[in-house]
Amino acid sequence: MKKTTFPAFLSTAIVCYIFWLLLTGQIVAIFIGNAAPEVLIAGGLVSVLVALFSARFFIHRSAFYLFNPVKLLALLFYCIFIFGWELLKANWDVARRALRPGKLRINPGIVKVPTELKSEYGLSMLANSITLTPGTITMDIADQDEKTWLYIHWLHVDCTEPEQAGDSIKGTLEKWIRRIWK
Amino acid sequence: MRIAIDILIGISIFFALAGTVGMLRMPDTFSRMQSSTNIGTMGVLGVIIGGIMYAIWQYGDYSMAVKIGILGVFYIVTNPISGHALAKGAYRHGYRPEQGFACDQYGEDLTDAD
Repeated sequence: MKKTTFPAFLSTAIVCYIFWLLLTGQIVAIFIGNAAPEVLIAGGLVSVLVALFSARFFIHRSAFYLFNPVKLLALLFYCIFIFGWELLKANWDVARRALRPGKLRINPGIVKVPTELKSEYGLSMLANSITLTPGTITMDIADQDEKTWLYIHWLHVDCTEPEQAGDSIKGTLEKWIRRIWK
Repeated sequence: MRIAIDILIGISIFFALAGTVGMLRMPDTFSRMQSSTNIGTMGVLGVIIGGIMYAIWQYGDYSMAVKIGILGVFYIVTNPISGHALAKGAYRHGYRPEQGFACDQYGEDLTDAD
């Protein structure tokens, strides 16, 4: 098991505290100017305690990576616009396939797709994005020939060529995730 | 304003219906999971965005809106994890579609490794 480092602890505590403020509604109270000090202090204590125990699972390297405003804005932009648009397109496609009368137009299969992402967070974000878009589910991830491969169940297989299939499943997604994580 | 909220919730209901119909019509486990993602993404996101707008415009309660937003964020972050686990578990347990896969590059690599 990895050890808890101080930067990892600090950034986990900050994230926990932000969530505490959001969940108790104090973030609105701070803007109005009637925040309750006892709630703020209790939140601080709880976040420090939680961070002590969970930082080593949460962060393994470069603890303050996402505190960089450029990366954070890129993350928000990706989540809301790029991913939102892909989600809408894929949802519409699968809904149309499901509701079309007659024989189902599906051709399910499992394809193997290479990825150039290296970091844990980048890979899990890509895999989660792929699973969230209807029509594709990431099944497994493997290292082979010094490359990382994703096994993806695809509802309508167009081509089995790894590079080409990868382009049509995660082309835009991966391009944007690479701007956020390595 | 009320109309925008109703449209969002209507979109949600449409995708939830499509997902349900897909789940009933799809031939095998994996394709059913694909269709159920429809309910889990657009079916929920529309209601959540509609709920945020409702909290702000009808009640003027921003802390309620923030809470609904966090609910959406956590839902979206945790939802795919069960998807990975279910798909991998079903495959490893030996479920295969009756008419077979168009291609199965996962199975080829698994037998190579064993």
